Amino acid sequence: MLTKIETIIPGEELAKAIEFNFSNEVDFLNKMTELNNELVNTQRTLVKKNEEISYLNKKLTSANTHLEELMYVLSHDLKEPLRMVNSFMLLLQSKYAQLLDEKANTYIGFAVDGGKRMQAMITDLLELSHTAEKNTGKKLCDLHLLFSEAQQNLYGLIQESNATIVTKGELPKLVVNKTDIVRLFQNLLANAIKFKKAGIAPVILLKVVENKVEWLISIQDNGIGIPAEKFEKIFEIFNRLHSKEEYEGTGIGLASCKKIVEGNGGTIWLESEENAGSTFYFTMPKLLN
Amino acid sequence: MKSIHILLVEDNEGDIMLTTEALEEGKIANKITIVKDGKHAIDFLTKKGGYENATLPDLVLLDINLPKKNGHEVLQYIKHSEDLKQIPVIMLTTSSSEKDILESYKNYVNCYITKPVDVNDFIKAVAKIEDFWINIVNLPR
Repeated sequence: MLTKIETIIPGEELAKAIEFNFSNEVDFLNKMTELNNELVNTQRTLVKKNEEISYLNKKLTSANTHLEELMYVLSHDLKEPLRMVNSFMLLLQSKYAQLLDEKANTYIGFAVDGGKRMQAMITDLLELSHTAEKNTGKKLCDLHLLFSEAQQNLYGLIQESNATIVTKGELPKLVVNKTDIVRLFQNLLANAIKFKKAGIAPVILLKVVENKVEWLISIQDNGIGIPAEKFEKIFEIFNRLHSKEEYEGTGIGLASCKKIVEGNGGTIWLESEENAGSTFYFTMPKLLN
Repeated sequence: MKSIHILLVEDNEGDIMLTTEALEEGKIANKITIVKDGKHAIDFLTKKGGYENATLPDLVLLDINLPKKNGHEVLQYIKHSEDLKQIPVIMLTTSSSEKDILESYKNYVNCYITKPVDVNDFIKAVAKIEDFWINIVNLPR
């Protein structure tokens, strides 16, 4: 968002004029008029610039809204025909598998797999476009409860992977959109569990630090880590560091996290080393407008 | 054996097939009438426009996104008609939007079901509808 320029006071000029030892009143008045004209001109330019900025802001907002609407409609309308493809592929597989040869079943397998992945992507895209849409529904929430909810949603994954989650510090109460923050925690936790080292149970540390103007929250894992050159890339939509055979995913989770954090006036980043785990940090400002 | 007449209002051929197959798999002898838009649904229920010999269904399965008249309009029509309002109407739709759900219940829908994305879940849901509304519930005769 571009910000308005409030005022400009040609302070130095004014000081000079006052310092100046005027020989008579006329000189002084002339100088004052000159300065005044300058001020008026500067203000005119400022008003014009502000108008330009507010015009551009409006254009930007409308473009963003348009894009989000488009994304929502697209993903919503894509769901319906895809459901048909997936449904009948699965029925074909479950009812006719014995009548078909191995090759035909392999073909169906590829189609079913592709359909499932597309379904997951559309679901995530829908959630991503919802994030912006719901920016208005903010209420005072206890983030501790939202973190618990995220853990409950991941119950199966946590049990299966034998993950341990430790909390250090107390999560604050903030004015946020509940669904967004649950998803933020859930995406970060799910990643911390998913990208674990083979044969090593995930150990995850949630740390909360209170700073002067913001809360600093971090989620640290003991997983496979991320090389430094990928730190920026991973927050981009559809960006995936691994093949689908290695790790499943749509490449939308972290893009969604970034959008949620930034939508709440915070920032998100990470520290990581390959084979040495990752720590994702995000901030939440204490005062929200 | 109980026999029950279901009116399925659905425009998607795929869903018609899935729903009727799931209903036929159930052990109950059912009669299923299919209409593909909201206007035909109302014509059928009011025995007009070629449906003069229609018999009223015991249960209506209603989609929302329909051509000509949408599901909400059909629901409103049924629930405002003295002759039809006693027929249970079940919304069976892809929509999971709060707005659609609330509007349906405000218009006295008997229950609202979002079509499960997974085909096996979809078939299960239809089987459960059948079991509940035919075996458990007492319908007006």
